[in-house]
Amino acid sequence: MLKLANVHTFYGNIEALSGINLEVNQGEIVCLIGNNGAGKSTTLMTISGILRPVKGEILFEGESIKNIPPHKIVEKGISQVPEGRRIFPKLTVMENLEMGAFLGKGNFDEMLKRIFTLFPVLKERQNQTGGTLSGGEQQMLAISRALMSSPKLLLLDEPSLGLAPIIVNKIFTTIKEINHEGVTILLVEQNAMAALKLSHRGYVIENGRIAFEGESKFLINNEKVRKAYLGD
Amino acid sequence: MLLQQLINGITLGSVYALIALGYSMVYGILELINFAHGEIYMLGAYFGIIFFGFLTVLGVTNYSIFLSLILTFLLSIMFCSAYGFTIEKIAYKPLRNSTRLSPLISAIGVSIFLQNYVMLTQGATDKVFPNLFGARGFYFLSIRMTYIQLFIIIVSILIMIFLRLFIRRTKIGKAMRAVAQDKTMASLVGINIDTIISITFIIGSALAAVAGLMVAMYYGLVNYFIGYIAGIKAFTAAVLGGIGSIRGAMVGGLLLGLVESLGGSYISGEYKDAYAFVILIIILLVKPGGLFRKAELEKV
Repeated sequence: MLKLANVHTFYGNIEALSGINLEVNQGEIVCLIGNNGAGKSTTLMTISGILRPVKGEILFEGESIKNIPPHKIVEKGISQVPEGRRIFPKLTVMENLEMGAFLGKGNFDEMLKRIFTLFPVLKERQNQTGGTLSGGEQQMLAISRALMSSPKLLLLDEPSLGLAPIIVNKIFTTIKEINHEGVTILLVEQNAMAALKLSHRGYVIENGRIAFEGESKFLINNEKVRKAYLGD
Repeated sequence: MLLQQLINGITLGSVYALIALGYSMVYGILELINFAHGEIYMLGAYFGIIFFGFLTVLGVTNYSIFLSLILTFLLSIMFCSAYGFTIEKIAYKPLRNSTRLSPLISAIGVSIFLQNYVMLTQGATDKVFPNLFGARGFYFLSIRMTYIQLFIIIVSILIMIFLRLFIRRTKIGKAMRAVAQDKTMASLVGINIDTIISITFIIGSALAAVAGLMVAMYYGLVNYFIGYIAGIKAFTAAVLGGIGSIRGAMVGGLLLGLVESLGGSYISGEYKDAYAFVILIIILLVKPGGLFRKAELEKV
């Protein structure tokens, strides 16, 4: 479904990605783990078209997307929940969701219903501005907003960051549910254990390169991965 | 006397508010002070004279003044919007990823260019807009109000209500607010940033066109330099309200108009133009964020 081949991206003057190879298949949950500054968010921003690769190829459903603008990439079916959630703070919850549905794909009311079933709290908060929500609620809203564009592939950047464990559980359960409903997921996480437990396959990124890859259950037992990322 | 000056001030203030809205909207989205905006207002006045003259030659004005005015407004709005759109594409868009100072300098360049362009093509002398309503007016609670003043106030209020509804309620308006708050995120939900920026320039220019045309009708005289002083005053109005804030631009414009008109009659008419700058200096010293900074900046 999504394929990155030898992708090089600069972030300012620094080469943040030096040849990323990564693949996501239809229906999968794939996780991308690694330390701070390894290039996880840069990878997602490159896929979404916010950053431009200087070298390499990005294919989505067999089509190159490396040179098309971000809003066209959303139109093709890739949605991102960026790091830090980036809710529009002065728009209401409902307006945030409307912006998620900006491209007008799918039936708005049906999608809204689905989202309010996933996260009932958003229904209660629908007329509040985004900035007044708690961190957990903002994360729910960020995921919902991304879902409003009916994506085929959902990119999630650190959905657990800064949230209480009980909320993290809720978010991860929902990610699984969303995947069951047919949305393919590429998950970036620092919480490696949780990410590997949730995903089918995983990639470990180090200094802008993929250091390990494989099925998540094998990565969990990999000696080096355990040492470096799972705190053994 | 006081009430009379209030009416004059509100008339003037409505015009400042219309121009200030253009400054504020563009600033809200691009964090750029579009110094060429005053020139759009000046162009609006010139287009008004040109098109109204054209319609007079065609005989439309003999048929119906009302229709001619509507056509003049529409044409002037269209041309000014086209100018605003083009200026953004030529002078600002190529500089979007450069330092913050570059587009500002580019804006000053556009402003100087447009002034000279109009001076060369239209001449350096004052042009006259035909006096349609004369000095006719009416008395209301012992205040005299001319029809043109009433017209300016009503049109401005309608435009501001319409603009507010547009930004609050429509999808494009909400997208404009989203872009103002977080451009990257806006593009991640599928909003075409370039389109929203263009729309912002088009709307801002349309408001400036209306303001320019109404001033041409009000004062009757237009020259190539009117955009400069009006632009700076409207900029002051935008800063007074809190630049980037829609409500701020409206309130700031009205306040500035009132200060000028009251100051002009109670302190000294000689210093009419100086009041705006005194206000600008005081605001920058005392409350650099403008009046609406605390009451949550409603950026667009």
